[in-house]
Amino acid sequence: MNKQRFDVIIVGSGFSGIVAANILADRGLRILLVDENIHIGGQLLRKIPERLGLHSKYNPEPVKKIGFALVENIKNKKVKIMNRARVVGIYPNREVLLEVEETRVMSLEYDVILFSTGARERFLPFKGWTLPGVFSTGMVQVLMKSHGILCDERLLIGGTGLFLLAVAYEFLKNGGQVISICDQSTFFDKAKFLPLVFSQYPKFMEGGKFISRIIFSGVPLKYKTRIVEARGKDSLEAVVVAKVDGDGKIIQGTERIHKTTALAVGYGFVPNVELAQLAGCKLEYSDTKGGWVVEVRNNLETSVENIFAAGEITGIGGAYKSIHEGEMAANSILYRFEKIGENDFNKKQKKMYRKRKQDLKFGALFNLLFKVPVGAILDIPDETIICRCEDVTMAELKKAVAMDFKEPGALKIAVRTGMGNCQGRTCGPLLYDILTALTGQSQTHLGPFSARPPVKPVSIESLINHRTHI
Amino acid sequence: MKELRTRNIKRTEKVKIKVNGHEIVAYRGETVLAALMASGYRKLKKSVVKGDIRGPLCGMGVCYECQVTINGIPNLRSCMIEVEDQMEIQTDE
Repeated sequence: MNKQRFDVIIVGSGFSGIVAANILADRGLRILLVDENIHIGGQLLRKIPERLGLHSKYNPEPVKKIGFALVENIKNKKVKIMNRARVVGIYPNREVLLEVEETRVMSLEYDVILFSTGARERFLPFKGWTLPGVFSTGMVQVLMKSHGILCDERLLIGGTGLFLLAVAYEFLKNGGQVISICDQSTFFDKAKFLPLVFSQYPKFMEGGKFISRIIFSGVPLKYKTRIVEARGKDSLEAVVVAKVDGDGKIIQGTERIHKTTALAVGYGFVPNVELAQLAGCKLEYSDTKGGWVVEVRNNLETSVENIFAAGEITGIGGAYKSIHEGEMAANSILYRFEKIGENDFNKKQKKMYRKRKQDLKFGALFNLLFKVPVGAILDIPDETIICRCEDVTMAELKKAVAMDFKEPGALKIAVRTGMGNCQGRTCGPLLYDILTALTGQSQTHLGPFSARPPVKPVSIESLINHRTHI
Repeated sequence: MKELRTRNIKRTEKVKIKVNGHEIVAYRGETVLAALMASGYRKLKKSVVKGDIRGPLCGMGVCYECQVTINGIPNLRSCMIEVEDQMEIQTDE
């Protein structure tokens, strides 16, 4: 059967994907841009509704202004854009299986793939975290920014990282009440950012804006404090927090109870590497890059020829890194298609390489600073659910590990972790940390989950509804 | 319950959707999850193995904890679909 063919398929339309698409679109290549979401732009460039009132003019930070312009630009270019479309399989002979709108699948051919699949949030499980009312910081932020909806009237915020402050700021600005921000890291850790103030000026202006609003609103900012338990019958009613020591272990006797029906938690970000893994791209584990990432060469090509990777999946580093890598990947792809000469390629590459190095350095600081310490992992009580899809508890994991099921793949067979709907996207990174903490083995030694098609759940109805053209 | 929709946003066209048979108001462009949250619905599904009640976690298509039945089609992620007039939503609650 003859399948529709594209020169380049770009998977993910966040910063790196949208930058690359804009560059490639001007060069007469047949490009398909797919994204799982309803609109293109990824998480940072989600659609913003029109504002009303005195402060009606939405004034995004400079980097987002660039992004929003690119999102608008691409719609007028010769690029095939597919929303609510997910690549679920990648096969030899340069074929992908795309699922669209959860109703049909199509087999398409490609010459080059660019993976710009971004990142998702990282969690640290605690007793009761499956109760409705426990939300991710990202979800709370999306509700406010894209929909002008508060998740609740009052909110407790916990986790690590600067994103907690961004969410608190937005919640206060929209008239919500923030009970407290419980940050597992220390204030001293934050001081390590000072040397970066000049190179990352816009980011720090923003950080200052967040902090001043939070302090001005009288919201207690608690450092070295962790969420240890969520309580409630069938929905959140109260949250227990406690002080932690330098290793991340709870200091007994410091527990405090907050009455609240909403809690937002976030522990940084995890790269979405599953698709690249499925395509056979080599992964590497790096604490400075935020966990398992796709290994890339200097031209951002992965270990598989003609498959490139850009943005968060090569290392968590933020919007600027993604923009630079989007440009770099597009440059490499243009060179591959002989749309630019070697001189132009090298010149551009050299410039971008320097920028990327700086971005990685910045990312490394964040990733190390907000990494969850081993003590916090060993503190997870036995009755805590780790794999939410299959209701697997910490006790069951420990039992399986004691029976010598030590690798993620073996655990999957033993207790079904990662076999459910999310295919290990939520529990996977936790599981890797737990296994490392329990066995003392390195992440590299243990390896990640394997990835098999379909990498996301597809209904039989969709599979039957198979096409070879868009 | 206090109004959870903020006043600083220009709301688009109103649509009527039904949740477990009860009519609620939503606005075009909102995801099903956003509309549910704005009306105080957060207990959305039962966990597959133990049957515990669950609610949305990630809000961006990763965790599958916000699955509901929409117009008779089960197991759809409410955060990845926009509301449409006369939509009928069923939660596990």
